[in-house]
Amino acid sequence: MPFAKKPQVFSAKINELTLGAGDKAVTLGGQNVFNLYAFDAPMANSPKIGIDVSDDPEQPSEGLREFYAGCDTLAQRAQKAAALEHVDFVCIRFDLADPNGANKSIEDCVADAKAVAEAVDKPIVVAGCKNAEKDADLFAKVSEALQGKNILVLSAKEENYKGIAAGAGLAYGQKVGAESAVDINLAKQLNVLITQMGVGGQNIAMNIGSAAAGYGFEYVVSTLERVKAAALSQNDNTLQMPIITPVGVETWGVKESTAPESENPGWGSAEERGIDMEVETAAACLAYGSDAVILKHPASIETVARLTAALM
Amino acid sequence: MALKGLDIFKLTPKTNCKDCGNPTCMAFAMKVASGALPIEKCPHMSAEALSTLSEATAPPMKSYKVGEHALGGETVLSRHEKTLVSKTLYAVQVCDCMDEAKQDEVLKNIPAVDYERIGERMYVEMVYVNHSPAKSAADYAGLVGKAKALGRPMVLSCTDVEAMKAGVEAAAGCDIIVNGATPDNYADMSAVAAGAKALLGVRADSIEQLHEVVEKLEAAGNKNLILDVGDASIKDAYANAVQIRRAALKDGDRTFGYPSIVNVDNLAKGDAHLEAALLSLFTCKYGSIVVCSEMTYAKALPLYGLRQNIFTDPQKPMKVEPGIYPINGADENSPCCLTVDFALTYFLVSGELERSKVPVNLLITDASGMSVLTAWAAGKFSSSSIKKFFDEFDVANKIKSRALIIPGKVAVMKGEIQDKLPDWSVIVGTSEAVQLVKYLRDEEWKKSYVEKAAPAAGETAPAEAAPAPKKVIPAPPIVVTGPYKIDGKEVTYKGHDPASRQFVTIGERIHCISPAIRKAMDSYDEAPILKRAAEQIAAGATYLDVNIGPAESNGPELMQWAVQLLQQNFNNVPLALDTANQKAIEAGIKVYNRTNGKPIVNSADAGSRISNIDLAAANDAIVIALCSADGIAKDNEERMMHCHNMLERGLHLGMESDDLWFDPLFLVIKGMQDKQMDVLSAIRAFSEEGLKSTGGLSNNSNGMPKHIRPIMDAAMVGMAMTMGLTSAIVNPCDQRLMETIKSCDIIKNNNLYADSYLEI
Ligand code: SF4
Repeated sequence: MPFAKKPQVFSAKINELTLGAGDKAVTLGGQNVFNLYAFDAPMANSPKIGIDVSDDPEQPSEGLREFYAGCDTLAQRAQKAAALEHVDFVCIRFDLADPNGANKSIEDCVADAKAVAEAVDKPIVVAGCKNAEKDADLFAKVSEALQGKNILVLSAKEENYKGIAAGAGLAYGQKVGAESAVDINLAKQLNVLITQMGVGGQNIAMNIGSAAAGYGFEYVVSTLERVKAAALSQNDNTLQMPIITPVGVETWGVKESTAPESENPGWGSAEERGIDMEVETAAACLAYGSDAVILKHPASIETVARLTAALM
Repeated sequence: MALKGLDIFKLTPKTNCKDCGNPTCMAFAMKVASGALPIEKCPHMSAEALSTLSEATAPPMKSYKVGEHALGGETVLSRHEKTLVSKTLYAVQVCDCMDEAKQDEVLKNIPAVDYERIGERMYVEMVYVNHSPAKSAADYAGLVGKAKALGRPMVLSCTDVEAMKAGVEAAAGCDIIVNGATPDNYADMSAVAAGAKALLGVRADSIEQLHEVVEKLEAAGNKNLILDVGDASIKDAYANAVQIRRAALKDGDRTFGYPSIVNVDNLAKGDAHLEAALLSLFTCKYGSIVVCSEMTYAKALPLYGLRQNIFTDPQKPMKVEPGIYPINGADENSPCCLTVDFALTYFLVSGELERSKVPVNLLITDASGMSVLTAWAAGKFSSSSIKKFFDEFDVANKIKSRALIIPGKVAVMKGEIQDKLPDWSVIVGTSEAVQLVKYLRDEEWKKSYVEKAAPAAGETAPAEAAPAPKKVIPAPPIVVTGPYKIDGKEVTYKGHDPASRQFVTIGERIHCISPAIRKAMDSYDEAPILKRAAEQIAAGATYLDVNIGPAESNGPELMQWAVQLLQQNFNNVPLALDTANQKAIEAGIKVYNRTNGKPIVNSADAGSRISNIDLAAANDAIVIALCSADGIAKDNEERMMHCHNMLERGLHLGMESDDLWFDPLFLVIKGMQDKQMDVLSAIRAFSEEGLKSTGGLSNNSNGMPKHIRPIMDAAMVGMAMTMGLTSAIVNPCDQRLMETIKSCDIIKNNNLYADSYLEI
């Protein structure tokens, strides 16, 4: 029997979520096929790439130090990052706000965020310091300061979703990220809770958890696959939010990326290892269902952009 | 996929005539499915059934071996459905179009990446030797000869039949794949592959054409194939890889049921990072052999880690490797914190230790991926397992500190650990991980630290330093309290007729995981135990489970005490004896009164605990038989295989089949939602064979909020009783559950209806 293609096109689709305003706005999601299966039907929007810029000037690699050389402030680094051709959005991360660390004040963070918004014309995603309480406060204040910019706050968790849904989503119309750690039941529950607060499902993005390749990445794989299967083949509209996966923050922390060459001479340049770790982890996330990835290194961004362009 | 036993069973005459030498058609079908018997052993199979069988038993994807490497044999598209069986293999490409120096360099670099990661060797498994039409057959043979010296299987890529013949000859003695069949040469190339007893790689310009060539090759009798997804573009290669696999596994198109070759060197065209991205992409979906230009550590470290993650059993408990994990720059003088290898425990504990900023050596012991209390209750986290860990990892020589902090939840083990590790000061730490930060920062542990005389190198500890062995408290005499009352109402056990068809509930509340019971067992304190027994009996429990924990030092005595205490106070209530300590179970049975039913041995499995069947047989007891060996059964075929193995063993030892109660293992819905119907089908299969069943039913609702659990458990018991479940280990104080069970017994006509049926 001759081969007949059987495209797997679903009647359900992933929600479209637009970030930013004006002609640089980007739209995530929208597809009615599995991620990257453009051969089944054209993807409504290609996968998007964000760049991760921390308020901590410390960089994990020589190449990144060179790239940001001469940039003294978060705004300057963000501007430099946003200027890269394949960057769709900039993710600013307030690592220094951590109360167990530098404990930077919320006022200073808001001032930073404002400066970034002035320096950058691409959409802005705001990541916190991982302290649930401080993040809720931080996101509310930054959302207020950046009203009209249509930012995404990354992210609300089980512990602080109420404050964030109210303070960022309801009060200032910003987009809300819902974060769970490779637990599909919690991912669904969090979306339900946030929509019950009044934030529309169209205004939510999910971070279902992340890991570097080799570090329990199988749980990321299975969660991504199961979320997409539920969203598309079961038309579960509590899981149809686009998925955004921070990759760089995970991959630039593992020893494969950071161990100096002197430690393992056979391993070769740390820079190359860091880039490949980031690129391979990102490719796997996209293969299994991420609608957007957030990366750190310009070379990784260039490569992942080439890959997705070739697949569309 | 091989046909499942249950599918084969449906095709049998279902008459149980025993002409095949098996007691039932089901037993026969299970043996056929496992390959133990040919289908012809049943003389009564219809012709249609036989032909359905031969068609259906062909696997959807062929599996092969090349050298020591497995290829193909996948049955699912996603790893969460079932383990992906044949990991992606990597090859490096060398071509006769390269100048000689380049060829030598490529070949020389192939062995550069070779390391071990969690017990697996990571290296380039194969060499991909390409022939360029611009070169001669002799050139090609020369290169193949050189590549052969690496001693790895080779993929010969060449569409010229004559050159391929030369290559095959030069490869003599080496495992090869003949990748060169095209729509034009397939017949001749197939003959070359057949002559070399090698897999034939097939390529074509389009996926439709590829399908056509494979059909022709199959028609000509060659079914040893591997499909090249092509290198026209990244998009096409990916589309082909996905569509070929999907056609085979999802749409049942056997023509595409072969492994694949993807050449990412040709796709990346010299961009090393893009090649890394493609290696990852095609490892995810769905390259069997992926060919690159060069394997560097930069590419390999993430890639092999990714592969190791993807090709794992999706049901394996989240486990970390046992070992010594230095935290916050700990060295040999830093104290040790001990815990289990359950990943969530590890992440929780290591996170809190990091937050404390105090240098600590975290010792992770092998506890089969269970949490602290579960592992302890199952005998997987015991003084012996800890001693074994210390020996295996040579902890005493690697670490000079002698402070050993154990989880507060297993404070009862302190004495036993101290006995086994006399040089160490065993300190009971905090019960919860969050308390660790303060505990370590404020050096609270030092208060309980006892200095031990350090033995000189090579000597054992001086005799006087050895602590006195833990004092075993003798069991006190049995106290019979007289009629036990709850809220002024007398609690009496109403009796149980073992022949009754009514559902048997086994009350689970006397369990060492509960701190109150653990404490009571440790000090022979009867009050908390009698209280829980009375509550369960009042709520209508048929049997009571008595879990005394691992009870390494005083098991027999403790079990005898518990059995007599409960039976003498509650009208010989029947009991399930639950411990990893076999001697304790035997001792318990010796003093057990059978008026209301045989004792139950909880539990045997088809793996390391199979001898509990022998124990039950020798003591005329019932045994709960877990249909698992090492880890959860991957499907019902495996469940039924374990079931039959244990059934046969029991029958052989003279047991009645009614005395083996099969436990399919209820699985957590949060985590294994897609496997719930499998569990229920297993119960139906037991019931169709006339076997009894039981299990820890409420495990299904583990992790759900308190108000949800009774609802979910009631629904589960209802569905399971429909399928034929005859018993369950439950919390009888869950009123909704008990009412559901009683109602189901009415519907099943196991009990005659009366308006007051819930009260009796
Ligand atoms: S399988 Fe065939 S031979 Fe065996 S019991 Fe059933 S009908 Fe009889």
